[in-house]
This record gives sequence, structure tokens and C-alpha cells, in this order.
Amino acid sequence: MSGSTLAESGQLDNDLGVRQLSANGSRMKTSVVEEKLDEGNIQEAESALREGLSLNFEEARALLGRLEYQRGNVEGALRVFDGIDLQAAIQRMQSSITEKIPSKKGRSRGESMHAVPQNAAGLVLEAVYLKAKSLQKLGRLTDAAQECKSVLDAVEKMFARGISDVSVDNKLQETVSHAVELLPELWKLANCYPEAMSAYRRALLSRWNLDNECCSRIQKNFAVFLLYSGVEVGPPSLAVQIDGSYVPRNNMEEAILLLMVLLRKCCLGHAPWDPSVIEHLTYALSVCSQTSVLAKEIEEILPGLLHRTDRWKLLSLCFSASGQIENALNLLRKTLRKHENADDTVSLLLAAKMCSSNTFLAAEGLGYALRATDNAQGVHKHLEGAGLRVQGLCLGKLAKVSSSDSERSHLQSEALKSLDRAFSLEPNNSDLIFELGVQYAERRNLSAALRYAKQYIDITGGSVLRGWRLLALVLSAQKRYPEALVVIDTALDETAKWEQGSLLRMKAKLKISQSLHVDAIETYRYLLALVKVQRKSYGTNRIPFQASSSLAEDDRVNEYEVWHGLANLYSSLSHWGDAEICLDKARALVKYSAETLHTEGLMFQRRGQIKEALAAYVNALLLEPSYVPCKILISSVLAKMGPKMLPHVKTLLTDALKTEPTNRMAWYQLALIHKDDGRLADAADCFQAAAMLEESDPIESFSSIL
Amino acid sequence: MAHISWSDSFSQGQEAMKALSEILPSFPSSLLSSEDPSHNLLNNPEISSQITQLLRKPDSGAGDNSLCRWLYDTFQCAKPDLQLVVLKFLPHIAGVYLSRVPLRKPLAGFEAVLLALYSHETAFRNGQAVTVNIPDLCHSSVYHESKAGAKNNATELNLAVISPGLEPYGTVRSTRRARIVGVALELYYSKIGEMPVDSKIAFCEFCVVWAGEDGEVYRETDEGTDETNKVEEIKEKMKGLDADSEVRNDESSSGSSKGKGETKEGISTGRIPLPWELLQPVLRILGHCLLGPNKNKELYEAACVACRSLYARSLHDINSKAILATGSLLKLVKLNSKPMDKVDHTELTITDVITI
Repeated sequence: MSGSTLAESGQLDNDLGVRQLSANGSRMKTSVVEEKLDEGNIQEAESALREGLSLNFEEARALLGRLEYQRGNVEGALRVFDGIDLQAAIQRMQSSITEKIPSKKGRSRGESMHAVPQNAAGLVLEAVYLKAKSLQKLGRLTDAAQECKSVLDAVEKMFARGISDVSVDNKLQETVSHAVELLPELWKLANCYPEAMSAYRRALLSRWNLDNECCSRIQKNFAVFLLYSGVEVGPPSLAVQIDGSYVPRNNMEEAILLLMVLLRKCCLGHAPWDPSVIEHLTYALSVCSQTSVLAKEIEEILPGLLHRTDRWKLLSLCFSASGQIENALNLLRKTLRKHENADDTVSLLLAAKMCSSNTFLAAEGLGYALRATDNAQGVHKHLEGAGLRVQGLCLGKLAKVSSSDSERSHLQSEALKSLDRAFSLEPNNSDLIFELGVQYAERRNLSAALRYAKQYIDITGGSVLRGWRLLALVLSAQKRYPEALVVIDTALDETAKWEQGSLLRMKAKLKISQSLHVDAIETYRYLLALVKVQRKSYGTNRIPFQASSSLAEDDRVNEYEVWHGLANLYSSLSHWGDAEICLDKARALVKYSAETLHTEGLMFQRRGQIKEALAAYVNALLLEPSYVPCKILISSVLAKMGPKMLPHVKTLLTDALKTEPTNRMAWYQLALIHKDDGRLADAADCFQAAAMLEESDPIESFSSIL
Repeated sequence: MAHISWSDSFSQGQEAMKALSEILPSFPSSLLSSEDPSHNLLNNPEISSQITQLLRKPDSGAGDNSLCRWLYDTFQCAKPDLQLVVLKFLPHIAGVYLSRVPLRKPLAGFEAVLLALYSHETAFRNGQAVTVNIPDLCHSSVYHESKAGAKNNATELNLAVISPGLEPYGTVRSTRRARIVGVALELYYSKIGEMPVDSKIAFCEFCVVWAGEDGEVYRETDEGTDETNKVEEIKEKMKGLDADSEVRNDESSSGSSKGKGETKEGISTGRIPLPWELLQPVLRILGHCLLGPNKNKELYEAACVACRSLYARSLHDINSKAILATGSLLKLVKLNSKPMDKVDHTELTITDVITI
């Protein structure tokens, strides 16, 4: 730098805000050049620059182009850039580099050699990049993308052997980073999605020395593109695959991978926190039903990035969606504490709903449900019905464990009241209609239950299996067996064969109720054939089985239940041998089961082996202390052993009735005891209860379909 | 060879157009001599609006309906560009069909078209399930390196089933209905890049009808243009879906003023059960409409309305998975509407001193 130019620049520096051009240590005001440009004299402007700043032709043009671009005159910039043959300049530079590289001997010489081309390359590449940007602003997107691509192509060729260990020129790096980021966006804007896809992969899989922020932006944009573009192009090519590393096979996998990598970077502080990353990941993983994986990702987020109540709420949604009820509930309990987010309607509803499926949690759930209904205001006003609905469900569940008759009946009617109120708010909610049906059925108000069961089938168009089952059960409780059979047969027509298990089981029971034992055996045989086919086509491989069926476990044909049902049937027909065989089969599938022992005991009892029968019943109770049928059977056996057993018998029966207040056999046994004791009035009451219950007894318990 | 297949497809396109011209009330005659019949069938707004009007008619889905017949035949001809034409109308077919099921009307025509789409997808996939290996950062991948190294390679990746395996069906069994429509929507999603915007908008509108909930309470006040009447508009549009609401429509128009309750009922007709097998493809399509690369303002707004509606519905159903998915879409909409992310990082930094 000479002294005079230094002085000149110092003077110019004082005029702050004056735009200047600077090169080779000289500076000049832009206004001089701009005037000429405005007159359309590109060449004069150019020569002014070449003289003023001692530049060559290409440098002067590049500088002019940049000036025009900065002024927002993109058309002018394009005119200037069109004046230089950028491709030729690039080619010249490529050949000069490839010639020089082999002659490179020492490190220091290599450095000095590369310093020049890097600088020159930076200038030319920036010019090409600005051309691309200008074209973009003019809406010529495909042309812009082509220019932008040529920047990257040139960089790859020029530095095919990498840049020697000198630090990369700042300007060159900036241009490269910009071009890498811009290219996929340009293809995207030009609706060239496959090109955009490969540009993204090129950006992320080649080494461009991008800084973390730039790389994160590209990763996020690519993930968003993969997730929502709906364009499936295929996995990254084999060339980029590294041995043993995971290669995504499709858009979804690639998007999830990128989002996870991004989230990890945010958590390690390598990238700024971007709240949208977790939302995209939430969308992707919940659409894939992988909310337990999502939960793990959310747990990794550092404190401070996500408010704790938000985190708890998100996690509880994840856990409840993946069936981890206990974890979900624990988190909700934290969220719903007084000083946290106690009034959050959604959390309250979720907590109440989860509690409503468990008799031991129903009371807690009722509390949440009441709070939810109270809080359903403002934005959440429309959720009042939902609050009432879970309230009803919790009350219904509570009724099942209540200790006294009057309390039970009170809770049941409260449950119905809540559900009815919810129904008046949401008359089209099919789930609610179903729940009303079940609730009425459990109260043995069969005509109301029938009405709702029918309505449910209507509103769902018969698309839900449990609707058909409820209707058949209600009809069976009304002793309208032929109609129930018609319902089951219709339902069988409307289901694919893998879902027919529960229907066929009901059909067999209906046949037994009508004393059509041969038909029932036939139905069981068909069920067994189904089991066999099911095992053949899916049993060998776990994954296709999962994949083949979206059904819940209990919708599939349950082989154990088939054998057990058949054993019961044979035993009731006194075909002891056949019954034994069936029991063996059942035992092979489920080793310890109260139900199997129950059947076994019955068989002993019928054959007069009372001691063995009693042993089987007691064993069943040891396995399942609340197994009601065996309690009743034991009491019936004990009752025949003389009056000193009577207190035990009574305890057992009252115990049984506490668990299952609608068990007619328990009432019947109790009646017999009263009669033997001479308490005729009590006996009559119990007989009457048993008789009334028998009139409305379904072939399977109503709660079996909830 | 290429020429032959072109002329082949051309003549099939012409045939389809000719057949359609006999069904539509007023077919634009200029199109009959069109150079590119498939393209016109897919994109002509006149044809499109006439077809959708016919599909919304009260008796549209019957087995002997000539339009359903045409849609079925056109799809079965196995020419990809003509199949796109049929797929374009899937939102209407599925939308009207599902909302009409509870009315016990003859719907065999719709069912035939839906089954054709279903079996096409079944054959294409060879009945196989669509699965996704959920990545685990413990394994190194093309995008990152893991310190844990190769020893973890033995652990299995989480396998997620996006769409279970398919069995061939000859009829629509009621318990399989949602699945069949869901698979047809999966097919639609796989071609969504080629679907015209009006078809996607119609899809979003049907989402609102299916959800049966007004989600506008969840609209952020700073979400741009006023669209408060959006849901009302959709309700209005969908009035023709079933005979009942048509009657109601007549009554209310004669009375000139509509009570609040009445319109509320209007949106509730058409509310359908949304099992995951149906909701999942719906959410994927909705994600595309909302955040896909092709920005169209009208589509974006329709998708926002649909998303809010489905969010409200998942809250009603207390369906955690759906709350997560729709909730995250809503939050993304909210983040999008904030200008903070609008910085163009590919722009040069403007300096006062320009250097080389």
C-alpha cells in the first residue's frame, strides 16, 4: 500500500455512510460509477473502475455487478454479469490449478500458489452466485438454479483435492455456503422436487465446511421437505453409504433422522434452539405411532428450553398414546398440582379418561373429571360434554366397587345422569352413545340399552365390531336368542375373518343357550380351523403378524378361549374324554388359569369326586382371589357338608356378591342357604333377585366389551 | 414404441372424455378436440365443478350412477394420467360416501370406485405392509457419527408400521370401510404432488365435516386475514350432502334467518368415527397441504381450518396420538405466522464498502 492511497482512504473513512468501492488498497466513491451506470454506460463505468482501483476487466465487472445488485438493480446486475464469460473464467482457473498442483513441492510454495487462485476464484464465484440471486429475484428460477449449481460444480472441480491446509478465504467460504443453502431452495421454488432432493443431499453429504447454523438450517429445511412434500424419490445413493452406518430408506426415515440429529445438536448447544424442530418431530413420530420414541426425545431436551408443565403434558400424551398409563398418570398428577397447571382442561380430561378404565383409580378420576367440567370455559367451552362424559365413566366404574347396594345404585344413576347430559351436548358422539348403551345394560335397563346399541350401529354404519357385540348381548339378555344370532351372522358378514373370533365365540354360546349343542360344536370347530390358518400365515414371524393387523390383541381369535369354551361344552354334555383333551390343549397355552381349574372342578363335581373338585376350586381362588364363579361353587359344595359350614358359606357368597352384584347364581345359592336355615322371607327375596337377574342375564358379561 | 404408447394413451384419454361428455350436463365442446385430454380432464375447472356438483347430488353414489361408472372405468383403464383424474375426485367421493353411510342410502357406485383404488394399491404393494425403521442416534448414520460405534449395530431398530398389510376385498364390509377409504387416501397421498389445488382444498373441507367440531376457537388472532366465516362457508357448501340437511337448508332459506343452533347442526351431520386407520392418512395429507413446498394461500387457509377442526375433535375424543399430531401442526402454523424466521440467510450482507 502506498502512502498516498492510505491517506486517501483515511479521508474517505471519515465520510461515514458514504458507499465506497475498495480494491488493491484504493478506494473510490460509488457515486462516480453509479452515475455512469445510470446513463447505461457499463463500459465507461468499468474503465473508471479499472483505472481508479487498478483492476483487470473481470474484477471490474464483478465489482460493478455487485454494486448494481446491492443497489437493488438486479436487471442491471444481470447486464453487467452477462458481459463477462464467467464459465470461461472458471475453466481458466480450473486448468491453472490442475497444472500447478502436480508441481507443488513444499508446503510454503503450495500456500502461495493457492492464495491467488482462491482469491480470484472467490471473485468469479461470487459473481456467478450474484447472477443466480438476480435471476431468482426476477423469477427466473430454473436459470437461477442452473447458475447456482455451476458455482458448486466449479468449487468441486477446482478443489477436487481439497484446499491445502491454508485457511479458506472468508469470502470464498461465504459464497460457497450461500450457494449450498440456496440451491435446494431454488429447485424447490421452481417445482423441481427431485433436483431439490439431490441438492439437499449434496449439501449435507459432501463436505462444504459449513458452519453449524447454516448446516442446521439446511437440515431442517430438508427434513420439512421430506416430511411434507409428498414426493418420494428414493434413498441416498450407494456412493455415500458408509459401512455399517444407518441409511434411511424413505422420506419418513430420513426426515426423522435429520430431526433427531438437529434436536441433539440443539441440546448439545451446537445449534440455536428452534422450537419448530420438536413440533415437526412430534408430528412425524405420532403419525408413525411411535410416541414412546418421542417421549425419549422430549426427555433429552435440556431444562429451560421447554417449560416443565409443557414437558410433562407432552410426555403424558406420549405415554398415554403408547399405553404406558401409569407413567402418563404420574406426570399428569404433577402437572395438575395446585401451583403448576392445575386448571388445564386437556390434562384434566386425559387424566380422568385414563383413571376411568381402572376401578381403583375411578375415584381419583372423578375428581379430575369434575374439575375438567368446571374448567371447560372460554376456549375450551366446547369440551364440557367431554368432561361430563368422563365423569359418567368414572362414576360407572366407581359403582362397581361400591360396598353397599344403595350407594351403588346412587352412583349408577349419577353416571347415567352425567352421560345423558353429555349426550344432550354432543348428540352425534358415537363413543358416547356406545357408553350409554353399556351403562344402561349394566343397570339392566335393557330397552334403553337396546335403543342406544341400535343407534350406535346406525351412526357408525356398523363399522365398529363392539357395536354388533353389544347389540347381540343386549338381545341375548332379553332372551331373544334368534334375533341375537341374526345380529351375529350379520356382523360376521361385515368382518374379515381374523376379527371374527369374539363373534364366533358368542355365536357358540348363543347356540348353547338354545341347547343346539351340535351347532355349537360346529362353530367351535370352525374357530379352531381359523386358529390353524392364522397360525400358519402369521405365527412363524412376529413382525408380519403385527404388520398384518391393526387389530387389538383381543379382536383376534384367541386359541385358549376356544379350547376352554369347547371343554366347557363337552363337560356339560358329559363327554368327559373330549373335555379332558380340550382342557389339556387349553392348559398347554395358558398354564395357570382360574378358568381352566373352574372347568376341571366342575367335571370332578359332576362325576362325584367332591374332594378333587373342591381342591380345583380352591386352587383357582389361589390364582385369582376375586374369581367369583369358584367362590359360588365352593359355597355350594360346603353347604352340603352340614350346618357348621354355613358361616363360611355365607361369607363366601356375600363376598362374591360384593364383586359381582348381578351374579344370579350367587343370589340363588344364598336363597338356598336361607331356606335351609328356615328364613323363608329372606330366601324368597333372594330367589326373586336371582329370578329377575336370570331374566336379564346376557351370555357374556356386559363389561367384557368395554 | 414411445409414439405408440403416446397415441394409445391419447385415444384412451379421448374416449374417456367422450364418455364423460355424455354424462355431464353441459360439456365444453371445445375440449372434445383437445390435444391433451388427460391434462384437460385433470385441470379444467369447468369439468371439475360439474363433476363435483354431480358427486354431491343426493342420489350420486348409487350402483347404477353413470358418473361412478365412468370414474370406475376410467381408473380401471390403468393409464396413470387418467387414474390421476379419478384420484383428483377422491376427496369428494370419500367425503360424500363416509358422511352418507349412516343414512343407509345405496352407495354401491362409490364403493366400486373406492374398491378399485384399494385393490390398485394392494396390487402395487403386493399386499405388504408399509414400515419405517425409526432411527436411533446410537447408530452412526449418513448424517451423523456416533461415539458408541459399531458395537451397537446388533441392537434392533424400532420398526413402525405405517400401514398394515393389505388383503384383497371384493366388497366393502362395514368394519373394513375405514381401512378401505384410508388405503385409497394413502394412494392419493402418494400422488399428492400431482393433485390440483382445488382437489386438496376440497379434501380440507371434508376434514372439517368429518371432524364435526368447530375448531375456530383455536385460531390465533394474529394469523393473518379474517377467515371467521370459513367454517360457515364449508357448512353451507356441504348442505347438499344428505337429504335431511337439504330439507333443513330449504327451511332456513325460506325463513331467511338461520338460528345458531341450526348451523351448528349443519356441521354435525357428517361427523364420522375417525379410527386411526382413517385419521393417519388424513393427517399425512393435511401435513402436506399445510407445510408442503408449493405454497398456495387458499389451500393453506383451508388446511388451517381443517387442522383446527381435527384438533378440536381429538380433544373431544381424548385421543392422545391425534392431539399430539394435530397439536404440533397447529403450533407450526403459529410459528410460521411469526415473522422472526423470515430472514433470508442466502442474501449477501449489504456493506457500505464493497471489496473484491
